[in-house]
Amino acid sequence: MTLAVALKRWAFALVPLVGLVELALHWKQTRDVVPDADWLAAREGVKAELHDRDLVVFAPEWSDPLGRRFFGADIMTLGRAARPDATRFERAFEVSMRGAHSAELSRWKKVAEHRYGALTVTTLENPSFVPLKDDLVAQIGAKVVRVSRVDAAGETPCPWQHGVTQSGSTYVPQGPAVPGDKFVCQGSYVGVGVLHDLDHRPRQCIFAGTIPGATLRIRFADVAYGAVLHGHDGVQWVTDRTKAGDSVHISFKAMGQEIGHHTHKPGTGWVGFELPMRELSGQHGELVVEVSARGQGQKQFCFEADTR
Amino acid sequence: MSDAKDKKAEPAKTPEPTLTPEQLAARRREREDHALGLGLGGVYVGWLLATARSLGFCRDEGFYFSAASSYAQWFELLFSSPGKAMQRAAIDPIWSANHEHPSLMKSLFALSYMFLGQKWKVFDDASTAYRFPSMLMMGMAIYVTYLFGARAYSRRAGVGAALALALMPRVFYHAHLACFDVPIMAMWTACIYSYWRAEAKGGLGAAVLAGVMYGLTLETKHNAWMLPAVFVPHALLVHGRAISRHASRTGRIPIPASLVMMVAIGPAVFVALWPWLWNDTLPRVQEYVNFHVNHEYYNIEFLGQTYFGPPSPKSYMPVMIAATVPTVTLVLFAVGFVGRATALAKRGVAAAMAFFERAVPSWAKAEPGTHDRLQTDALFMLSLAVPLSVFLLPRTPIFGGTKHWITAYPFIALFAGRGVDVVVTAAERALAGKLEGARRPLVAVAVFAACFLAPLDVTAHSHPFGLSAYVPFVGGTAGGADLGLNRQFWGFTTQSLAAYFQDEAPPGARVYIMDTSWPAWNRMVSEGRLRPDLRGVGSPSEADYAIVHHEQHMNEVDYNIWVELGRPAPHYVLTHDGVPIISVYKRAR
Repeated sequence: MTLAVALKRWAFALVPLVGLVELALHWKQTRDVVPDADWLAAREGVKAELHDRDLVVFAPEWSDPLGRRFFGADIMTLGRAARPDATRFERAFEVSMRGAHSAELSRWKKVAEHRYGALTVTTLENPSFVPLKDDLVAQIGAKVVRVSRVDAAGETPCPWQHGVTQSGSTYVPQGPAVPGDKFVCQGSYVGVGVLHDLDHRPRQCIFAGTIPGATLRIRFADVAYGAVLHGHDGVQWVTDRTKAGDSVHISFKAMGQEIGHHTHKPGTGWVGFELPMRELSGQHGELVVEVSARGQGQKQFCFEADTR
Repeated sequence: MSDAKDKKAEPAKTPEPTLTPEQLAARRREREDHALGLGLGGVYVGWLLATARSLGFCRDEGFYFSAASSYAQWFELLFSSPGKAMQRAAIDPIWSANHEHPSLMKSLFALSYMFLGQKWKVFDDASTAYRFPSMLMMGMAIYVTYLFGARAYSRRAGVGAALALALMPRVFYHAHLACFDVPIMAMWTACIYSYWRAEAKGGLGAAVLAGVMYGLTLETKHNAWMLPAVFVPHALLVHGRAISRHASRTGRIPIPASLVMMVAIGPAVFVALWPWLWNDTLPRVQEYVNFHVNHEYYNIEFLGQTYFGPPSPKSYMPVMIAATVPTVTLVLFAVGFVGRATALAKRGVAAAMAFFERAVPSWAKAEPGTHDRLQTDALFMLSLAVPLSVFLLPRTPIFGGTKHWITAYPFIALFAGRGVDVVVTAAERALAGKLEGARRPLVAVAVFAACFLAPLDVTAHSHPFGLSAYVPFVGGTAGGADLGLNRQFWGFTTQSLAAYFQDEAPPGARVYIMDTSWPAWNRMVSEGRLRPDLRGVGSPSEADYAIVHHEQHMNEVDYNIWVELGRPAPHYVLTHDGVPIISVYKRAR
């Protein structure tokens, strides 16, 4: 019997072989689940080395809820889980399984790697880290921030209210949660929440929905100026993906001078901007943010900014 | 004399036709086929019943439970005061509930609940009584698929087809539900089977039966309106030449009796069995059509992107089939399909050549009472292609995932069954002389085991996370998550938190139920599937525990809970094969 004849004769065997390989794969996959003990060991490993300026990420992305659960709220703070981007962190611990890696950290320098069973914790350094001088999101509150609505009738203060968060129903999309603590203006509010951005990622930011025919003015009383003002803005995903509404204009002023502005166009997602303010670097003072739009604007506009 | 007279007065008895040994064997074989098909279907229904209580209720089921319990009131009225039940004042308030779908299955849910649930107490859970007709439909789908395979190809092919259909994780999941997807799959297959039988047997009875079956299929779900796209091309393929000859001779177009009966009887059955259509029939039919023609798009994640409107990705259907139907089943399908498609193509070429040479084409029908195998192949291919091809259109919504083309699966299974037959035959040939006599059947047993152990294990393991499960060749559940494929919809996984709440929640704890529908939640609590003291609430701000079903477009619920609680760490994460299905957040006290 020639090889060709033999191959033809036994070619059928490939089919049951596929079945047996499928069975073997299934057995392996259903037994390859990361045990709780590995998560807890990885948590202790990270916790021992963790500093405030460190980021913790989980890869693949779908393992994030497990990571947040096992690492807990003391490690997985809102600042880390709902970061505007990774640039504000000096170092990152990437907790990965299945050989996955975070695209966000792809250009960071790997400095260490530890294995905890099925989990690998890789320590990476930010190659272009610049420490923050101030973070506007952290400042929001009655003590150092004043908010007002400015329109043809003049400037109307928006009072700070302490209340109950309004979040959700049993239907989706449900829009962003309205934070309990916020400045309440006629037609809008200013408060810190978490935006679901166009890429479905969480972004902790300052909600400042635009008011037709008016400008929202937010005064931060004492900001440490840096060489740049680094920020992002976006709109809740459902609105953004349909490109509904109008562009939003956000401007930043310090010491009576405009530092710069950014226009958020519908459908562009969570967009970063960086405004130079080198001449003010090292000084402290008021920073005024104004949010406005032509037309209806965006009810669910959100921004964040820091100085560095 | 009188005796003779009396004898003459007796009606003449028709003598029993003497059956040949072949005919007797054929009858016996037919009885065996029915018994085997029913046995396979029955075992499967038993499996569904045994696993029903561990599967939570999905959103749509909650709505159909409500509609069915409403219809049950009408049936009670019908049995007690038929005259009153027929009045518009009795019909419209009840049958307007959930009138976007026809009534057959919901009526069966209602009757099953009334008799098997309430009256005879066959089932402890009302939900199982509601679900039972769908499970029987799945049993029927297996039975008909077996018969189709056994009669079109071989008994081995029939068994292979039935197993291939039964051991698809998504089919197993949907077969539990008091919904319409598996019933329409069953009715689609049964209707095509009745057409196929009518084609072979001829006669008015078979044609009328096909017409009634079509009406019942229309009454099951709107997919049935696509069936003419199967039957008409097939009838033209089989009878086209005869039709054209007859038409040119007589000026009339002869239409196969089964199709005439489908047109004549089908819509009549559709209206007759749906009381909502008994008043204002045309406007209500229009409303029904408009609902489905203008159906809204829902969010669905596919390859990491959430789609919410047209155009739908053309790769959605093939990728989802490859990722959810066991790979060995698809390989068997390929073996069976390629073989039959090749034979069909050869016949097509021969027919075309005969046409050009003005000879008699080779499409001529087989002997009466039998099936031409290639015509059967063509019917299977059309039955497979029509429901799938809709999902290659850019405006077809894709939100329901695999369940929306589930009517194609029995025909994938039939070609897979044919594929098993081909493989077993090849194995027997390769081992000829080595395994003879009593050991010869071992070849088939070994091939069946090698081909169906994985689908069996994968299907059994997928429960109760059937919509999260992906096949091993794409990496299983974790592989599906890596690919960014949808992990669930309908919020049915909530019940899988029962053990967590049992151990963790204080008495009277309030639970934000998120994507769980209220009827589904209430039933889970009333049937003791969840602790009865738990209180469902509609917002995280009211809750002690807030849950999030992990779907990409529902991330905002997760983030809203973070804002509510001020921290992003869940207290518990329900997983399947290590992949998050639900996160549970607990309010700090």
